[in-house]
Amino acid sequence: MLRRALRLGLGPGLLGRGLGTHREGSTLAWDGKVSEIKKKIQSILPGGAWSPLCDTSHLPPEHSDVVIVGGGVLGLSVAYWLKRLEKQQGAIRVLVVERDHTYSQASTVLSVGGIRQQFSLPENIQLSLFSVEFLRNINEYLAVVDDPPLDLQFNPSGYLFLASEEGATIMENNVKVQRPTHFSRQEGAKVCLMSPEQLQKKFPWINTEGVALASYGLENEGWFDPWCLLQGLRRKVQSMGVLFCHGEVTRFVSSSNHMETTSGEKVTLRRIHEVHVKVDRSQEYQPVECAIVVIAAGAWSGQIAELAGIGKGPPGTLQGTRLPVEPRKRYVYLWHCPQGPGLEAPLVADPSGAYFRREGLGNNYLGGYSPTEEEEPDPGNLEVDHDFFQEKVWPHLARRVPAFETLKVRRAWAGYYDYNTFDQNGVVGPHPLVVNMYFATGFSGHGLQQAPAVGRAVAEVMLEGRFQTIDLSPFLFSRFYLGEKAQEHCII
Amino acid sequence: MLKFIIPTIMLMPLTWLSKNNLIWINSTTHSLLISFTSLLLLTQSNDNNLNYSLTFFSDPLSTPLLILTMWLLPLMLMASQSHLLKEPLARKKLYITMLITLQVFLIMTFTATELILFYIMFEATLVPTLIIITRWGNQTERLNAGLYFLFYTLLGSLPLLVALTYLQNTTGTLNFLLMQYWTQPLSTSWSNTFMWLACMMAFMVKMPLYGLHLWLPKAHVEAPIAGSMVLAAVLLKLGGYGMLRITPMLNPLTEHMAYPFLMLSLWGMIMTSSICLRQTDLKSLIAYSSISHMALVITAILIQTPWSYMGATTLMIAHGLTSSMLFCLANSNYERIHSRTMILARGLQIFLPLMATWWLLASLTNLALPPTINLIGELFVMMSMFSWSNLTIILMGTNIVITTLYSLYMLITTQYGKHTYHVNNLTPSFTREHTLMALHIIPLLLLSLNPKIILGPLY
Repeated sequence: MLRRALRLGLGPGLLGRGLGTHREGSTLAWDGKVSEIKKKIQSILPGGAWSPLCDTSHLPPEHSDVVIVGGGVLGLSVAYWLKRLEKQQGAIRVLVVERDHTYSQASTVLSVGGIRQQFSLPENIQLSLFSVEFLRNINEYLAVVDDPPLDLQFNPSGYLFLASEEGATIMENNVKVQRPTHFSRQEGAKVCLMSPEQLQKKFPWINTEGVALASYGLENEGWFDPWCLLQGLRRKVQSMGVLFCHGEVTRFVSSSNHMETTSGEKVTLRRIHEVHVKVDRSQEYQPVECAIVVIAAGAWSGQIAELAGIGKGPPGTLQGTRLPVEPRKRYVYLWHCPQGPGLEAPLVADPSGAYFRREGLGNNYLGGYSPTEEEEPDPGNLEVDHDFFQEKVWPHLARRVPAFETLKVRRAWAGYYDYNTFDQNGVVGPHPLVVNMYFATGFSGHGLQQAPAVGRAVAEVMLEGRFQTIDLSPFLFSRFYLGEKAQEHCII
Repeated sequence: MLKFIIPTIMLMPLTWLSKNNLIWINSTTHSLLISFTSLLLLTQSNDNNLNYSLTFFSDPLSTPLLILTMWLLPLMLMASQSHLLKEPLARKKLYITMLITLQVFLIMTFTATELILFYIMFEATLVPTLIIITRWGNQTERLNAGLYFLFYTLLGSLPLLVALTYLQNTTGTLNFLLMQYWTQPLSTSWSNTFMWLACMMAFMVKMPLYGLHLWLPKAHVEAPIAGSMVLAAVLLKLGGYGMLRITPMLNPLTEHMAYPFLMLSLWGMIMTSSICLRQTDLKSLIAYSSISHMALVITAILIQTPWSYMGATTLMIAHGLTSSMLFCLANSNYERIHSRTMILARGLQIFLPLMATWWLLASLTNLALPPTINLIGELFVMMSMFSWSNLTIILMGTNIVITTLYSLYMLITTQYGKHTYHVNNLTPSFTREHTLMALHIIPLLLLSLNPKIILGPLY
């Protein structure tokens, strides 16, 4: 008090200058102490969240209506749409549990970031169409007060699929599904089919040997920055009141009910009551009481589903049907080629399976190649195999684009696909036996581009009981038991 | 009166010394038997009071409240069985002991002759309630809720102690029977104004009045089911009972001093009813509906006419049973879905049809459907308020409409409409839950056949 009076009273006088540095240190400490005391008083008064017994601020809350396991782009998208579609603000309490806040192994941020509508299933096309509309208007969807707008760096350069003789018919059929017809009220993709001569004229750097047909997406296809989308979603979702928790789900506490179907078969329905979330680098865990659990854990969804008891039963029954999502490692290489394709280059997908796209404005390119089943790398770690590029990727690239014979690999990384071994398409919606568990996973490499639309679909099922805007019934879990594959007809 | 208090106190050794599997059965049955004996109080030999001793008495105002309190203990025990299943044995017994202690204090509050005994017991009921809310509530916010509850009530009732001591010194006695005849009319001076405020504020906070109601949504929502039931059904009525007892001593000052509180109550009725329409949490909706009904009781007591007193007492009993039943229904939902959000548990009529009947009956009594006693209470209050001032009919009418709106909104959202996937395997209703609801609604419906027993001393 005396020191403060001296400071205010004397100012830059003798006494002030003499005790200069010593005074400054002590007044700063004094201000700090006052603000600390103020904070303590504020937290003790009713309204604060202080508990005198023990500090539990690092733990998730004891209760949450919805627990989303996995904080990648799909989990955040489900959280966003839940908060957006709830009828009144603050109605549902959502908790997102994410094991790694640096996202060092998450598929979202290691992805190449492409988005296309050239699928063969109409549901996939509609999902991508809505997602691209979301991305184009991202600053209306994800606006947060006082925060700068997002720059997704969306390059709408399109996708170019090349087909050999064998794949040409499939490609034509796919394009028929993709284009809008006047029977369906859905919008379609704008895709243009090109012959090898047209291809050579448009993209002179391509070697059209072995190419019978090419389909080029003219609009709404390209690539964007996934990290920016993730941060934008995270920021928006936090502003809407979703709680984040840094932890790992270790256990589900559930209860069973033995019931009979109308035909007299016995079936056991389960319901999850609690999720045990373990704090990072500690044995401490918090049981979170919840009404609904959403699995959006990407490549590790299979493990989480096993924790919930999905797949524990005699094989061939619904109880014994596992969630067939497992991690698969894919490499992405970044190279520099000064004579390479120019700014108009789309994401080119060779019939052999190799693909590449332009990255930035300095003649850098990103690309990779999906290995065959026998050559699958071990998904235990994310180490990059450079020989894979030399032996498998480069020959195909050099054959297709002669300029790529003189390229120099700058960097490489590896990421996981949440690979659905059944039919390589996503699993969306509720589980038939564990009644309050929903899935939003298993997209096998095209999850990022469909995330906004899938989030909306899952939120609709949770809130309304059925899919309202896009009907994703072919992607339900029950198809694994019924054997109905929702397979993409690839051209490879 | 000792014939109720001593058996209730003896329920405590009963719980502690029972065998493990007989705790619930013993305590519930014996408390039910004790509650039947309370019906003896209904026979009043003369128009005055039924005096038992110098310390305890009962009259047609305290009798229905006492019967309600004693009826509620077995119901609370039945409702708590499920969420205490996993607790260790000593904690279960402790919980039951808390409820029994609360019951003893409440019996003594409602039958106290001396106002100081009333005050001591009034404050003493806070302690077991606080312990129940903060120890057995469901979420972290319960500590906050307990704090709000404790401090609001304590700060409101401290001036009451001062006022009671002052009254004891001036009139020489605080015995309720004598005070009616020995009080002097209060003139409008500053000190008398403060004494009026000191006497009434404790009960206003307890009722609660609209501006002082912040503790109620927190306490009701965070409390476990027995806590919510006793809070809504009985503890709120302590405020009304206190006001009804102390206003005869504060004449004629009440006619001037009551205006701000009347305005607050009338406006607060509509405000809290409107908040109910926007609530997403089921228990929070029922808590706000309690505030709205109690605001009616406050207005009735403050205008001090015979009909309004009758309406106030009827409304207190009716609301006690209805609100307690609604909390039990909300708890049965919560035990199955583990969430109190209304939109996550919809379309339940298909899965739990008999529970839907109870939901329907509870919602209908909540919106004061004729010929239930809820309607009698509201109608009496409306009529006396209309004769006090014609304009209040607009506010009261709006309140009735909004009450209907939110009661039906609650019913429709939880019972009708399309259900979601995650309500597919709800555990079917237990017989215990059906008994609980039946034991709530049967007295309510039977009372509509003979409402004169709850119409209070002015009938």
